[in-house]
Amino acid sequence: MSSIEQRPRRRAPWVFAALAALLAFLPLVAGPYPQTIARSVLTYMMLAISWDMLIRSGQLSFGIAGFFGLGGYAAAIGATYLGVPPVLTLVFAAVVVGVVALLIGAVVLRLRGMYFAIVTLALAEIFRIVMHNWSSLTGGPNGMLLPRSAFDGNSVATYLMMLVLAAVVIGVSEWFRHSRIHFALTAIRDNETVAASAGVNIYAYLLTAFAITSGIQGAVGASYAQLFGFVTPESSFNVNYTLIPLAMTLLGGMYGTWGPVVGAVLLGVVGEYLKLFIPYGHLLVYGVIIVLVILFMPRGIVGLVRGHLERSRRTTTASEKGGAA
Amino acid sequence: MKGLQTEALTIRFGGLTAVDGVDFSLTPGEIVGIIGPNGAGKTTLINLLAGIYAPTSGRVVFDGEDITAVPAHRRAALGIGRTFQLIHPLEDLTLVENVMTGFLFAGRRSLRAAREAAAALCRDLGLGGLNRSTGELNILETKKMEIAKALAVEPSVLFLDEVMAGLNSTETLDVIRMVREIAAHRNLGIGVVEHVMGVIKELTERVVVLDGGRLIAAGPYSEVSQDPRVVSAYLGGSV
Ligand SMILES: Nc1ncnc2c1ncn2[C@@H]1O[C@H](COP(=O)(O)OP(=O)(O)OP(=O)(O)O)[C@@H](O)[C@H]1O
Ligand SMILES: [Mg+2]
Repeated sequence: MSSIEQRPRRRAPWVFAALAALLAFLPLVAGPYPQTIARSVLTYMMLAISWDMLIRSGQLSFGIAGFFGLGGYAAAIGATYLGVPPVLTLVFAAVVVGVVALLIGAVVLRLRGMYFAIVTLALAEIFRIVMHNWSSLTGGPNGMLLPRSAFDGNSVATYLMMLVLAAVVIGVSEWFRHSRIHFALTAIRDNETVAASAGVNIYAYLLTAFAITSGIQGAVGASYAQLFGFVTPESSFNVNYTLIPLAMTLLGGMYGTWGPVVGAVLLGVVGEYLKLFIPYGHLLVYGVIIVLVILFMPRGIVGLVRGHLERSRRTTTASEKGGAA
Repeated sequence: MKGLQTEALTIRFGGLTAVDGVDFSLTPGEIVGIIGPNGAGKTTLINLLAGIYAPTSGRVVFDGEDITAVPAHRRAALGIGRTFQLIHPLEDLTLVENVMTGFLFAGRRSLRAAREAAAALCRDLGLGGLNRSTGELNILETKKMEIAKALAVEPSVLFLDEVMAGLNSTETLDVIRMVREIAAHRNLGIGVVEHVMGVIKELTERVVVLDGGRLIAAGPYSEVSQDPRVVSAYLGGSV
């Protein structure tokens, strides 16, 4: 064996990415129903990725629906009162929600584990109640209509907009994975005392990750608002926007971009299919999947495949070594 | 004033005073033994110096500056390195990535520079198989990785908390040689916590003795080991 240590080659992700790109454009030619499913898959996929990005630090959030809903409202309010153009409401929502998360995070990121998780759950509920009751601004329980939809509701253009957003989210997630942020978040997850002793500013990294992932959730909420043309407290803050991305990530595998992607495609498509036969049955199936995965497949599908690749790589290097000796 | 000094450093956990009015110093170039029976406060002292705990009272001074209120991650960047008595590898990172973290964050290096520096440091310490997961390392390699991680913050003072524990005599000799080499080549102040007195005698120019959080004796090992207070502390009697 050469003395220079090589990092394992990384060809699989590119093949995978090319395949994914192909799949992403398929709904454009496949008709309106597949497009609807694909939009829903993309929405949950982005939420799943953003949730995963934060849990890479060990911080478990149950607040996805809160920032998602807040993003929808930010888009509606920005468009209505400030005249933000439809497509730019995504950016507007990302910034507004990111800043809100920064302010809240400054306080709640001193909490860990279950305490943090429960506070994020409570936050989502607080956001919903505020939007519900601030009638003069938000229309109260009736919600708000957006003055104009993105691309005047053109479904192909809207779908492409979501694809672009998804590409950006995947890009940010991969940047997390391959920059110093990856080392900081992983060290924090493994052991905070060791991380701090290596010079990691834990608070700063957690705050950054929380603001960015919440900002993503806000942008996704805005895209959803553009898609449907309205926001309401009940639909925008629906707890499914927390639970479904979580189930998808667990199924696909945590701590990476491709786990949530795989989980979202699988559960999203299967869920749509199930909806046709048993309304709300898909939610039951999600629940069952969460339980089964946690019990029998804690690393998810991507983790399982990685494990297999890893083992076969090791046995080949071992036999190569044996041959050379 | 180079190095690390404490003034009347004290920390209380509820009713227990784990470190009690300790004046301690460590200057670059010297190796100091920190000894005392179980529960004497040795690890707690290191945690106070590294900024993991905030003292109840007293001061920590580093290179002439009061750093009592400076958080742990900035102390690492200033050049205070330490190993952990209870070893916690970052298990989701490989060997070289574990060592990289100090260069990345305390040393503010780029990913590539940190990886290169970590690989070079591992090579210096005789660590190979850099892309192995930490679970694949044997005990000696794990201890060396801990030392490498502490060195990766490029410290001017370094604390080794029972790094020899669990090693056999050959391995212990290996690590003693390594610590000597580190001291000789890097001009560090090293604080060594060990229960094996042979190691302390072998490595250190002077020792401080803690008992019940108090510093009860200080001086060359040969003198301190004769001190009746030290003898009785080790025999379990109180002073
Ligand atoms: N975080 C903490 N909370 C409460 N008590 C603590 C804490 N850390 C240490 N102590 C107590 O402080 C005392 C000193 O502990 P410390 O670990 O510093 O001893 P030590 O000299 O390192 O012992 P050993 O040789 O066994 O490692 C012990 O009684 C311990 O139980
Ligand atoms: Mg100890």
